[in-house]
Amino acid sequence: MLTLQAEFTRVLELFQLPFMQRALMGGVLTGLMGGLLGSFVILRQLSFFSDALGHSALLGISLGFLLGFDPTWGLLPFAVLFALCVTYFLEHTHLWTDALLNVIYSSSLAIGVILLSFREGYRGGITNLLFGDILAVQGTDLVFSALLLLTCVAFIGLTLRSQILLTLNEPMAIARGVSASVQRTTFIVLLSLVVGISIKAIGVLLISAFVVIPACAARLLSRRFTHYIGLSAGLGAFSAVVGMLVSALFDLPSGPSIVTVQLAFFLGAILMTKIRAY
Amino acid sequence: MVVKSAAVGTIENPVPHETLVSVEGLTVRRDTHVVVQDVSFTLEPGTDTAIVGPNGAGKSTLIQALLGILPRQAGDVFLLGQPLSPRGRLPIKVRQDIAYLPQNFLLDRRIPISASELVGLGWDRLRPQLPWTGRRARDRAIQQALSQVEAWHLRDRPVSRLSGGETKRVLLAYCLVRPRRLLILDEAPTGLDARSESDFYRWLYTLKQEQGWAILQISHDLEMVRRSCDRVLCLNRTLLCQGIPDHALTPENLARAYGSEFVRYHHSCSVRSIDPLC
Repeated sequence: MLTLQAEFTRVLELFQLPFMQRALMGGVLTGLMGGLLGSFVILRQLSFFSDALGHSALLGISLGFLLGFDPTWGLLPFAVLFALCVTYFLEHTHLWTDALLNVIYSSSLAIGVILLSFREGYRGGITNLLFGDILAVQGTDLVFSALLLLTCVAFIGLTLRSQILLTLNEPMAIARGVSASVQRTTFIVLLSLVVGISIKAIGVLLISAFVVIPACAARLLSRRFTHYIGLSAGLGAFSAVVGMLVSALFDLPSGPSIVTVQLAFFLGAILMTKIRAY
Repeated sequence: MVVKSAAVGTIENPVPHETLVSVEGLTVRRDTHVVVQDVSFTLEPGTDTAIVGPNGAGKSTLIQALLGILPRQAGDVFLLGQPLSPRGRLPIKVRQDIAYLPQNFLLDRRIPISASELVGLGWDRLRPQLPWTGRRARDRAIQQALSQVEAWHLRDRPVSRLSGGETKRVLLAYCLVRPRRLLILDEAPTGLDARSESDFYRWLYTLKQEQGWAILQISHDLEMVRRSCDRVLCLNRTLLCQGIPDHALTPENLARAYGSEFVRYHHSCSVRSIDPLC
């Protein structure tokens, strides 16, 4: 009992530290953004898209190092450009989406690692890129994430009905005057910015989990679209809080801890649907 | 039957407002293949017009091109007196007056949407607005529309759990939730058994009488077309015939559209209607 109390005090003291508070805020913001956009990503079968964006980020960061600009900020225009190019390829080739995305993300990863190998002494840093370091989140990162979250909320909120109809049936939406290409492109640009800004904290390999897992769990628990979107964003944020606590309690890496908590919620959602069915 | 040349307008001289749809010389290509060629027809208020023709005749393409869902290569389209721009744009007010139901409306049954949410999408103007704008009027309209098709009890049920007949009734409520002047239906009874199909048409024609809708529908049921429709357009890439069903659906015209084998079979089935194979 005493040990438990001591552990609790230790975790509380840990969260008094500014870098832990920034990490917690960063996790919550990423969870909210990932969950919000992720709710549409999985229904539009774009899950691999966020994965491809994450992997391509490595290429963007490598290019940033070689060309001599800040890799974090240089990554964002690269991610947007990359996303638009991928969208163009998806719409103008007759290949399967998952196959084309696989070609893109594996080749981006390969070229990115080769480019990084030219930079002396950076090989150790590749682990940070792959898995991220949420404890290294800075105040400017948080400000940018908060602004991006506001933009995402405003976009989804103001175009909610159009987004739902587009997800449900694109021809029906176009027949009602929705500009499908404008809406789709705006969504993809926002998604690429969310992935780009979250790479530093979460890493190339785990970023797609933030977009996909909370949305899948929310889908299993929802019967209405509006509840589903809110639940997906809420689960994203809640997983980040619980994941950070678990990470502090057991001294585990933060990003993977959050993803493991997301998985626990997903398994819990499966269990709940099974119980409901009986 | 309207003399088509009298009703066709130009950008400078819009068609008289009594003509709901005016199509002149419409040609649509998909890749290099001409799917619809030089099609012209008009549609008057309150009339029920069927488009018939074999699979691959371009019926769905024709409908999607006149709604601006697919681009057209040549021709003029006027909907409710307003020209459809070359890029498929129409005033939002005109879009509001038209309801379009595609052939496979729910492409993915895993999308979590309730019946009332779907009907609400028919009410929304689909321009940027706060999600709660006009909530009371929206809720009232949804309730009225669902009650009118005796589906109010289905309001909270996920669309994926509705039967075929219930889904069609909810889709009719989607059309009903706002006053419309034109319904465009792409093989609306697809997937229904004989009883549900008969119920669907009973609902459709009762509501047509009450609401004064004009209907443009794609159908494979030539008997239903003869029985219920005011006009028929016989399409197989080009427009082969148009007019009152009894006059237009002659064995010669059907042979041109479907081939002579189909006409011999159709004729024998009409004569020996008790033949279980027919």
